[in-house]
Amino acid sequence: MPKLTIDGRTVEVAAGTNLIEAARAAGIEIPFFCYHPYLTVVGQCRICMVEIQGQPRLAVACATPAAEGMVVKSETSERAREAREAVMEFLLANHPLDCPVCDQAGECLLQDHSMEEQRATFTTHMTETRRTFPGYESRLIGPHVIQNQNRCIHCSRCIRFTQEISETSALTYKSRSNSTFIDTFDGKPFEDPMSGCAADVCPVGALTVRGFRFRKRAWKLRSTPSICPGCSIGCNIFIEHHERVVYRFSPRENPGVNATWLCDYGRFLAESLNEQAYLHPQRRVSGQLARATWGEVFPALSTELKAARSLRVVASANLSNEELYLARELFGRHLKGEIVVPVFPGEPRRMKNGKREWLTSTDAHPNSHGARRLGMATVDGEGLVRFLRGAAGTTVILDPSAHPSLASEEALQALGRGPLVAFARAKHPVADLAGWLLPTPSLASNEGTFVSSTGSVQRFAPAFAPPGTVHRTATGAMSPTCPTIASPWGPPGEARPLWVVLSSLAREMGVATLDLSSPADIFALMARTEESFAGVDWEELGVQREQRSYRERQHVG
Amino acid sequence: MEAVLLRARGVPDSRAIATYLAAGGYEGWKKALAMAPDAVTREVTDSELRGRGGAGFPTGRKWSFVPKDHPGPRYLICNADESEPGTFKDREIIEHDPHQVIEGIAIASYAVGAKTAYIYIRGEFVRWARILEEAIEEARRAGFLGKNGLGSGFDLDVWVHRGAGAYICGEETALLESLEGKRGFPRLKPPFPAVVGAFGKPTVVNNVETLACVPHIMTRGAHWFASIGRPRNTGPKLFSVSGHVNRPGVYELPLGVTFREIIHEHCGGIRGGRKLKAFFPGGTSAPIMTAAEVDVQADFDACAQAGTMLGSGGVIVLDETVDMVEAAANVAHFYAHESCGQCTPCREGADWCKDILDRMVEGHARAADPETLLRICRFSSSGMTICPLGDAYALPISSMVNKFREEFDRRIGTATPLPQKKLPVLPWAGPRPGFGV
Repeated sequence: MPKLTIDGRTVEVAAGTNLIEAARAAGIEIPFFCYHPYLTVVGQCRICMVEIQGQPRLAVACATPAAEGMVVKSETSERAREAREAVMEFLLANHPLDCPVCDQAGECLLQDHSMEEQRATFTTHMTETRRTFPGYESRLIGPHVIQNQNRCIHCSRCIRFTQEISETSALTYKSRSNSTFIDTFDGKPFEDPMSGCAADVCPVGALTVRGFRFRKRAWKLRSTPSICPGCSIGCNIFIEHHERVVYRFSPRENPGVNATWLCDYGRFLAESLNEQAYLHPQRRVSGQLARATWGEVFPALSTELKAARSLRVVASANLSNEELYLARELFGRHLKGEIVVPVFPGEPRRMKNGKREWLTSTDAHPNSHGARRLGMATVDGEGLVRFLRGAAGTTVILDPSAHPSLASEEALQALGRGPLVAFARAKHPVADLAGWLLPTPSLASNEGTFVSSTGSVQRFAPAFAPPGTVHRTATGAMSPTCPTIASPWGPPGEARPLWVVLSSLAREMGVATLDLSSPADIFALMARTEESFAGVDWEELGVQREQRSYRERQHVG
Repeated sequence: MEAVLLRARGVPDSRAIATYLAAGGYEGWKKALAMAPDAVTREVTDSELRGRGGAGFPTGRKWSFVPKDHPGPRYLICNADESEPGTFKDREIIEHDPHQVIEGIAIASYAVGAKTAYIYIRGEFVRWARILEEAIEEARRAGFLGKNGLGSGFDLDVWVHRGAGAYICGEETALLESLEGKRGFPRLKPPFPAVVGAFGKPTVVNNVETLACVPHIMTRGAHWFASIGRPRNTGPKLFSVSGHVNRPGVYELPLGVTFREIIHEHCGGIRGGRKLKAFFPGGTSAPIMTAAEVDVQADFDACAQAGTMLGSGGVIVLDETVDMVEAAANVAHFYAHESCGQCTPCREGADWCKDILDRMVEGHARAADPETLLRICRFSSSGMTICPLGDAYALPISSMVNKFREEFDRRIGTATPLPQKKLPVLPWAGPRPGFGV
């Protein structure tokens, strides 16, 4: 445990920690561009120069391990400041000053550093014609990534990412000296399963994600910590949203699961969270769905359910542990219904964690491990159809996207034989059969926990209230309607998270133990009563509701 | 001085192993095999042999850095990537006496415990790569190399590896990367190659000339070697002299000879009876020296004291007709082309210097140009870059600006402004399909 002094502050860090991390532990920011905590250190950008007492030359902080008794001067060293200023001048000599039209603006390390540390009196000495790469200003190098080589500062983060993390070695340097540029190896398309991360690690706007480009300025986005719903690996993400519209997922650091990476499949699920086909509770009256209020729903539905001859419930591995638990207790224990969780294998997905081991998942759902942990019966597609064809009675579908065979003709035929209660968000054929159609919001408006494939319980936070009507603007962006100026994103919609609906039903039915007002309370009950969740504390799973996104935190964490 | 490294020059059929053996070749190798590896290293340390590639690091010390107890292979690499402008001494050695190098490689490999040695040779040296390959084959057939060489139980394989045309691959860590089949980017140090080198194993990288000295140290002893030259700057050195002299070529002289002797005695003075203006003492990477500094001794310490470096010993002589701005532009062009593009100051700075100097040569100098050049050079040298290429371009250019400032200022006095570029007015063709995505 070496103890060292940085800018007069003494800090003790683990052996092998480099000076950037040590300085961060002391609350001092040393600027960097090419350094990335999960990639090898190359020391190319030369911006992290610091003065170390007893060494005649400046050293790069990223490649210098902390040593006992080391005295480091970062901001207090005039030499280091001068050197950094010179490196900034070198970098900006050929970097286009197109921040206003660059989509990286607001989350660009180069921009941030030049705003923060460049002295106000500093002017460049560069008067030559700037280096450009004609034809490389807006080049689609793969399905998701657009390259602008003029903006590249040659930090090689993207190259190292493809070499060390995604292991495709798809990106490489070509040419040399000042005409060095990034290209795909052999000119093949950049079809990396994690190609979005190459744009994430790019400190400038040289690589940007096609789907997000020019959709929203980075500083408008709010980040809410959540869990990727793509598979059971459970990558930690930020839902980045503005005015109740989700614009993108970005990876949230978790060394045990996804380090700071996210696969393209998960990343591009973000857009799907904006779909909200059903906005109000609806009830079928003489063959037609008619709008109802939640106030009418609870008493009527609870009476109906209590009177049901037999009850079959199709839960889903997309639901949180709290929702699965409530469903099991309410429908299974109190109403003596039969409850199953359909699961099916999805495409195999994999993710590299902070120890650079691959985590794999063939689950198509984020929480099948949670369902198993709660001891719920799982069925495959055929089993589900058999289950639906069983004794006629009332059926409750908690999530139509639980299994694709719910949309099959066999299943729909079976469902058409008896009363049906369906909770749904996206358009689904079961809505045409449902007696009760109740809207649920997306992950972005829900709160709860998932169990990942490694067995850890992970919390996700709600980003915004359920959205109201949304429409597509001319640019293709999802945007809420603007009925009033006072409330530019419109009133919230009436979709309610399933746990809210289930606990309200419990209150209506007089099951006082399940009448709980927050996922935290439900979780606490689970932790008390379920052996498999014993000892897990909600607060310790803690995520703050609002955090700064990873991109912003590249300076500090 | 008697010829040591170039003794075979002018001897008929000098490359053949028979000729080499007749002159006492491979005696050093036999002698080394009879000694303990540590004793060989000690002998080289005692000779005070310093690396001839440019940095002048003591060779014996470099060998002693290889960890003794390291399990697994180690490597010895002979750096024949001779690319420094004005340097052509290694080529001369290989041309006339390749076995001298191979014997040196064998002794060095034995001293550091390497069972595999590579000769990394500049890609353009096709002829010399073939010469080396033939010589290795001869030595192998004669039983000096290969399994159980000379019945000593020591195995050694020597391979020739041709570079692909990058100056930077003469830098030892870039050479290692290139040898491994990667892009020739210098590595961050530490760890040094003696600890983590080729393929992650301890590796010693020595210049051709350095290794060519080793057999002579073994046969004639460290004291004989140390008696040539000056203390701490011992042994014979090859100087490849080019430029405006009457007799350019490779000269073998003891270290410590003055540049006046080299230029005016050995090379027969300046061509056409003109006057000496300046000279590069060791390739263009060494800061330039003026005619007034011609009495400096050509060795590592004296050059360092004079604010320059002996480098590879490639003396480039410039006479009074040379325009320093054009000479600086020439130097800048080389380094702007040869920068590997890895670290910021060198990649951006070398090209920037080139642009400024080109503009000055074209007659559009600006008042701030010399100061800008000095600023760029200052922040590209002394530890601002991973490898010494930053210093290699910055020090000569800044020395030229400093020592011949009046020539740069004269350019400013006679400068015309850059002609205004007329930007073409593009016809509006409507939105292009697929553009901007």
